[in-house]
Amino acid sequence: MSSQTQYKDLEPDEAYAFKPEDLEPDEMILNMGPQHPSTHGVLRIELKTDGEIVKDAQPHIGYLHRNFEKHAENIDYQGVIPFTDRMDYVGSMNNSLTYAVAVEKLMEIEVNERVQSIRVITSELQRIASHLLALGTYGMDIGAFTPFLHSFREREKILDLFEWLCGARLLYNYNWIGGLSHDLPNQWTDRAKIFLDQFEPVIDELDNLLSYNKIFTKRTADVGIIPPERAVGYALTGPNLRGSGIKWDIRKEDPYCGYEKYEFDVPVGQGRYGPIGSCWDRYYVRVEEMRQSVRITRQAIEQMPAEGDVRETVPKRVKPKPGEAYGRTEAPRGELGFYVVSDGGLIPYRVKGRSPCFVAMSIFREIAKGEMIADMIAIIGSLDIVLGEIDR
Amino acid sequence: MKEYFADLFAAVTSIAKGMGITLAHLFTKNETQQYLSEENPGARWQSVIVPEGLLQDRSRMRLHVKIEDCIGCKQCEKVCPVDCIDITTEKREKTDAPIFAADGTAVKQKVVQFDIDMSLCCYCSLCVYPCPTECIVMTPEYEFAETVKSEFLYRFAKETPAPPEPPKKETSDPVAAGGS
Repeated sequence: MSSQTQYKDLEPDEAYAFKPEDLEPDEMILNMGPQHPSTHGVLRIELKTDGEIVKDAQPHIGYLHRNFEKHAENIDYQGVIPFTDRMDYVGSMNNSLTYAVAVEKLMEIEVNERVQSIRVITSELQRIASHLLALGTYGMDIGAFTPFLHSFREREKILDLFEWLCGARLLYNYNWIGGLSHDLPNQWTDRAKIFLDQFEPVIDELDNLLSYNKIFTKRTADVGIIPPERAVGYALTGPNLRGSGIKWDIRKEDPYCGYEKYEFDVPVGQGRYGPIGSCWDRYYVRVEEMRQSVRITRQAIEQMPAEGDVRETVPKRVKPKPGEAYGRTEAPRGELGFYVVSDGGLIPYRVKGRSPCFVAMSIFREIAKGEMIADMIAIIGSLDIVLGEIDR
Repeated sequence: MKEYFADLFAAVTSIAKGMGITLAHLFTKNETQQYLSEENPGARWQSVIVPEGLLQDRSRMRLHVKIEDCIGCKQCEKVCPVDCIDITTEKREKTDAPIFAADGTAVKQKVVQFDIDMSLCCYCSLCVYPCPTECIVMTPEYEFAETVKSEFLYRFAKETPAPPEPPKKETSDPVAAGGS
């Protein structure tokens, strides 16, 4: 044991943001997490409470830290992709796509149209799968168990399609630099179409089951309100920003993979059951996005060229010229970006990930103040964070 | 007061609506499947969306090495992002009888050690693609749970050198004991 590093406990000063001596007579410090079932991973939140009211809340992150950025500096460019998959482990397809887009930008590789179409199809299916998980577990956090079963049943079908496509169910390693690992199998698009046809009615079913349920709307519609200017101020992206009524989508504003070819709407929060930017709005933006994803997938399958080698532009040796590139895409949780710096070698000099969940977590303290303890769960769930991506 | 009762009414009706959906699903086919039931032992997950038998076509589960075909080029070892492959080779004598891999490549190196620690493997299958003789493959075999961590060290080489003498005290680190 002597050779091993001696770990020492954190000093109370470092582990707690709030000091017991600063508390008012009625106040109390309460730790929520890290092993709380509703924190979607291992997130510890320190609450300063006054009875049932949360006076202040400080999230503590880092329990799932896996050293992604340092790892990336020690393996070749292709070897980084399995690590990007593990960042946001429920939206792996989008993560590896973002990294691939960034390195392709650095190496000035143009992938062919078939690769682009397949990337759009897979990333939109992954978005549906990710939103299904977010909505299902959100319902479960609030206390509705049945929608979770329905959404996981549908998610399972997408995972089956992906397993058929590339052999893995969650961590795909499918998007390569300059191409894809496998071409679509025979009948894959037909089966995907069958899935989309039967999935669209399920969204309506989920709506009736959960979205318009009075108890659910009462729990979420007046809670965790993010006004539009504050959402912009905290650099929120994705459904969290659009829930506040701001139309911003990387797929529209800075198209990649040929998204400009497809017709789709950007759903924004309407404030149907209360003020705009509430938890319900963020929730419902995700429901609407699933409908749009179905639309995009249909068009991409329709417009996909039948011929084309998916490994046509895969470089034999990934060795970019010295330089830097920032690739960004619209991941299920918002703008995901990778900033890749090359010094001309076989190993990246630096890979920096811009995680949407980390940014979304920064606004938590702001919106948690003055809410009830039970509403903390509703707020965390509506921000749809994945701790694997926050801690990296 | 009026709002209170309106809310109550809305809650009851919306719950009834949801219960109606649940009730309708009571009469549909079961979605869950029994894992290894007595009726069908050895049954695997039957996907509703993927045609039967195609799901495992590209499955990436346990690694397998056809060691007769290995030419000891160590490309899989180099590309592995988690360094779970450990290969040692020795040069074959010129006087030895020539050996060829299944695709006709002459085997010039004797592979004396080919260890894969499956507890470290991240199932990315990056090692499979560069192999010139396609001797390292991922199989659809997924049931290989073990109770001891050292059991995950798969030794594929036929002429594996004797493992180093274990230290007198039992070490709790099987990776270090395996020599990787």
